[in-house]
Amino acid sequence: MHVSSLTLRDFRNYARLELDLSPGISLFYGPNAAGKTTLLEALFLLATTRSPRASSDRELLRWDAGGEAGALPFARIASDVHRLSQSLRLEMLIQLRQEEQANDVQLRPQGNVQKLIRINRKPVRAFDLVGQLRVVLFTPADLELVHGAPAQRRRYLDLTLSQLDPHYVRTLAYYNRLLQQRNSLLRAWRERRRPRRAVDDELGYWDAELCKAGGYILAERLQAVAELNSILATLHGDLTGTAEPLVIGYVPRLAYPAELGDLPDAEQLRAALHAALLHCRTDELQRGQTLLGPHRDDLTFAVAGVNLGLYGSRGQQRSVALALKLAEARLMTQRSGDAPVLLLDDLLSELDMHRRRHVLHTIQQPQQQTLLTATDLSDFEPEFLHSITRLRVETAQVFAV
Amino acid sequence: MALPPNAPLPLVEPVARLIEAFNQLPSIGPKTASRLTFFLLRADAEVAQQLAAALTDLKEQVRLCKRCFNITVDELCPICTNPSRDQSMICVVEEPLDLLAIERTGAYRGLYHVLHGHIAPLDGIYREQLKIDDLIQRVRTEPITEVILATNPNTEGEATAYLILKDLVPMGVRTTRLARGLPTGGDLEWADSDTLGSALEGRREL
Ligand SMILES: [Zn+2]
Repeated sequence: MHVSSLTLRDFRNYARLELDLSPGISLFYGPNAAGKTTLLEALFLLATTRSPRASSDRELLRWDAGGEAGALPFARIASDVHRLSQSLRLEMLIQLRQEEQANDVQLRPQGNVQKLIRINRKPVRAFDLVGQLRVVLFTPADLELVHGAPAQRRRYLDLTLSQLDPHYVRTLAYYNRLLQQRNSLLRAWRERRRPRRAVDDELGYWDAELCKAGGYILAERLQAVAELNSILATLHGDLTGTAEPLVIGYVPRLAYPAELGDLPDAEQLRAALHAALLHCRTDELQRGQTLLGPHRDDLTFAVAGVNLGLYGSRGQQRSVALALKLAEARLMTQRSGDAPVLLLDDLLSELDMHRRRHVLHTIQQPQQQTLLTATDLSDFEPEFLHSITRLRVETAQVFAV
Repeated sequence: MALPPNAPLPLVEPVARLIEAFNQLPSIGPKTASRLTFFLLRADAEVAQQLAAALTDLKEQVRLCKRCFNITVDELCPICTNPSRDQSMICVVEEPLDLLAIERTGAYRGLYHVLHGHIAPLDGIYREQLKIDDLIQRVRTEPITEVILATNPNTEGEATAYLILKDLVPMGVRTTRLARGLPTGGDLEWADSDTLGSALEGRREL
């Protein structure tokens, strides 16, 4: 798939931008803080509804956004997306939340910003946007994926699956909501704000629903890891020139019975999760939180039996991160028949010749749209530069070259 | 030149106070609050007096029915005191507005029980904040043969229904839930009468 346009208004440092994009490779270059990464971020937001870097969504609005009297300040992102079977116009309005809505218990304020989304001019919920545009973002921060907190690795799988399967997005959101309710219940008991009476009855509904959603999420993740592993069996070796496969291990907090095999189905996992939850009741009451389930799981990355998250050199970890992202892109292509848009943020400058050649080979495939950023053109071969679209970015303005 | 967004507006105190009061209401923002206030300022004194009296009466005269917790001006609500209502059925709803929605269908002739909310631990709402124990007490003492759980078809509504069911099962009373077909995640309050009527008709045993 590819995007043919990107429109920004009052988004970060951009006041106004109307950009046409080629279906092949576009290279955005210019000094630091000019707004190159912001372009990739905008597309990532349209694909996932979330920013890869903002700690608060408030930061997405330009500092003096929305000057018109009476209107609430807002930022706007829009793009025309062309998929195998259809073309779509995606729009996101990021708006300061009105006070009246912050009072409403139903709409829990997240920061103080709300996102309004339209597909082909029709308002839809955030869930419905995810996966309409599929992207894979490569950034130097991907290294965190390998040696950072488990949450980063869960996010890697969740972002991949969410973009591929609308049911996964919804179930994950539902699971997280159930989890918050259940944790609040456990915490109230732990802090002795409520008598521990009929505990099993009170937890019953949350247990059953959590395990149903959790079993599904777990099964989907195990399946995705199996597919990624078969991709990585050759990809990592090709990338590093060592012929050694990278193996992702899924480490569930739930120790499910070995007789279920490598790929238990959602129902088997639901049952196992339910049994295990009942088993750790006392522990959960003491700790005041849900101790089992996909929200506590982790991944390991091993080459030749060595856990590279723990024992890998920085170079090895960088290769792992790169291989994981390339594998994610290939998984999306395999499952949907449509290649995702690749967003490479200041990535090539960090790679050695061999890895760089591999990445360039990947992005030069037909039907592959790629947006690259770089500070310096001297990192690239003249031949490569002539075959692509170059765009200069300076103080939040983009110039065709 | 527009004022900076957070500058205090140069308003006299009574006007500012009413705007502030309107602004606290659900779905009313600063703009609507100002519009309502200036409307009342221009309108005949009568309009404002009627509104003021209605507001005072609302808080002074309206209370909850002793039996079913519907809103009422007397000790018991008009449904509880109506002898032609079927005294053997209770329909359990989250809010008085849900009761009105079911009344509008005309498909139900029994009694009600209003819980005044749903289970939501995240918002600090547990069973003891709801009228669940009062419901159990009613089923124990009144000649009830069927309880219809008409909480909303969303997570919190289902969690509430589940908890009530747990209490009712050992009591041996027939317990039913509205048929599926209501928009999931939605509120009864907003369901159209036909859909709600047939959900009531096709209620299933739990
Ligand atoms: Zn009553």
